[in-house]
Amino acid sequence: MMEWGLFVIELQNVTKKFGTHTAIQNVSLTVHKGEIHGLIGASGAGKSTMLRVMNLLEIPDSGSIYVGDRELTTRSKRELREARKRIGMIFQHFNLVLNKTVEQNVAVSLQLAQVPKHQQIDRVRECLRFVGLEDQMDKYPAQLSGGQKQRVAIARALANEPEVLLCDEPTSSLDPHTTSEILTVIRDIHERLGVTVIIVSHEMNVIKSICQRVTVMDQGTIYETVPIESSGIPKSDRSPERFIKELKNDA
Amino acid sequence: MPDILLRYQAEIWQAIGETFIMVGVSILAAILVGLPVGTLLYLCRKGNLLENRFVFSSLNLLVNIIRSFPFLLLVVFLIPFTRLIMGTAIGTAAATVPLSIIAFAHYSRLVEQSLLEIPKGVIDAAVSMGASVKEVVFKFLLVESRSGLVVGLTMSTISFISYSTIMGVVGGGGVGDFAIRYGYQQFQTDLMLYVIVIMVILVQMIQFIGMTIARKIDKR
Ligand SMILES: Nc1ncnc2c1ncn2[C@@H]1O[C@H](COP(=O)(O)OP(=O)(O)O)[C@@H](O)[C@H]1O
Ligand SMILES: [Mg+2]
Repeated sequence: MMEWGLFVIELQNVTKKFGTHTAIQNVSLTVHKGEIHGLIGASGAGKSTMLRVMNLLEIPDSGSIYVGDRELTTRSKRELREARKRIGMIFQHFNLVLNKTVEQNVAVSLQLAQVPKHQQIDRVRECLRFVGLEDQMDKYPAQLSGGQKQRVAIARALANEPEVLLCDEPTSSLDPHTTSEILTVIRDIHERLGVTVIIVSHEMNVIKSICQRVTVMDQGTIYETVPIESSGIPKSDRSPERFIKELKNDA
Repeated sequence: MPDILLRYQAEIWQAIGETFIMVGVSILAAILVGLPVGTLLYLCRKGNLLENRFVFSSLNLLVNIIRSFPFLLLVVFLIPFTRLIMGTAIGTAAATVPLSIIAFAHYSRLVEQSLLEIPKGVIDAAVSMGASVKEVVFKFLLVESRSGLVVGLTMSTISFISYSTIMGVVGGGGVGDFAIRYGYQQFQTDLMLYVIVIMVILVQMIQFIGMTIARKIDKR
C-alpha cells in the first residue's frame, strides 16, 4: 500500500528527450496534497510531457518522480502498474474505448484493479451518478456529446478512488458552456472527494477559474510557480438574448 | 440443374469438401498464428509498448518474404518442408501446409494494419489505468479493432479460396483443381463455367456474411 505524505507528487531534476529534442529539461516541481495545480504555457512548452512523466506514461531520461512516498522510476513493472491505479488521468480527446458501452468503459478500470465482479456494477453506477450520466450506461461513446464523453472518462478515472487526477487539456476540445460543466465536475472531485488535481491547459481562463497554484512553463523548463486566487468558473449563458448582447458588444 | 453437374455430382462434392478443408485450415492458421504475429508486429514497432527492433525486423522480413513469393513457387519451394512435417508432400492434408504459411503471413499484415488504425490515446488511457501489455491487448486493442479484424479475415478467406485453387499441382484437389481437370482439360467449358459460378456465389456469400458481422460489431 502506498503512503501519502504532505506532497503527492514531486519531480526532481527530470529530463525527457524525444530523439534529440528535449521536451523537458531538468525540471523540479512539488505538487501539494489536496491542491488544484495548473500547468500553463505555450504550445510545445512541455506541459503534457511533464504531466505524462508523473505516471510514467513517458519514461524520463533522468531524474526522479515521487508519488506518495514512492520513487516510481525504480519500481518494477508490476509495482508501477499498481501505483498507476491510484492515479487517474483524463485527456483532451477522452480516449474512450468506442466499442465498449459507457458502463463497460468504466468497468474495465475496475477489472484491471481486480475488483470482485459483484462490486463492479455498484461502483460503476456510483461513478456515473457522480458525473451525472447514470441514465446513459448502455450507450456507446459515439452516441454521446463531447462533454458527456469527458464525463465518462472522468468516471472511469475515478472508479478506483485515485488520490490524484491528472488532466491533460480536459476542456480544449469543448465549447465554453461544456468547459464550465467539466470544470465544475473537476472542482467537485477536488472538494467532495479530496482528490489532488493537476490540470494542464493552454487556456488562461480555465487555469484561473479553479487552480490554487499555477506553474508556468516555457521551452521545456519551469518559468515560475505562483499561488493564485481562483476566479471561479464562469457561468455560461447560452440564451439567444445573451448571444445578441455579446455580438453587439465589441468586447 | 444442368445435366453435366449431375453427372459429376460426386466429384464436385468431393472437390468442395477438399476446398473446405484447405480453406478451413488456412483460416485456423490465420487466427491461431496470424493474429498473434500481427499483434506482435504491432507491439514491437517503434514507439509502441514492446518496441523491439530485432523482433520487429525479423517478423517483418519473414512476412514480407512469404507474401512476395509467387504462391505457386512457394508451394514448390516448401515441398521438402511439407514432406518433413506431414510425411508426404502430396494430397489435401499436405496442401494445407503451404496454405497455412501464406495464410498466417497474409492475415498478420491485415491484423497489424487494423491495430495501427486505433488512436494512440486509447493505449495511453489503458496504460494510465495500470493495464499490463496483455490487458492492453485483450481489453483494449482487440476490442477496438474487432471490426477491422473481421473485415481482414473475410478478405483473407477470399484470398485463401483463390490460393487453394492451384493446389492441384500437389494433388490437393479442391474445386479449382476440379474445374481445371474436368472442365478445362477435357474441353467441357460449360462445366468449368458452372464451377466458376459456384465459386463466385461462395465468395459473395463470405463477403456478405463477413461485412454484415463487421458492421454489427462496429460501434465507433
Ligand atoms: N511522442 C513524442 N515524440 C516526439 N516529440 C514529442 C513527443 N511528445 C512531445 N514531443 C515534443 O516535445 C515538446 C513538448 O511537447 P508537449 O509536452 O506535448 O508540449 P505541450 O503539451 O506544452 O504543448 C514539443 O516540441 C513536442 O513536439
Ligand atoms: Mg499538450
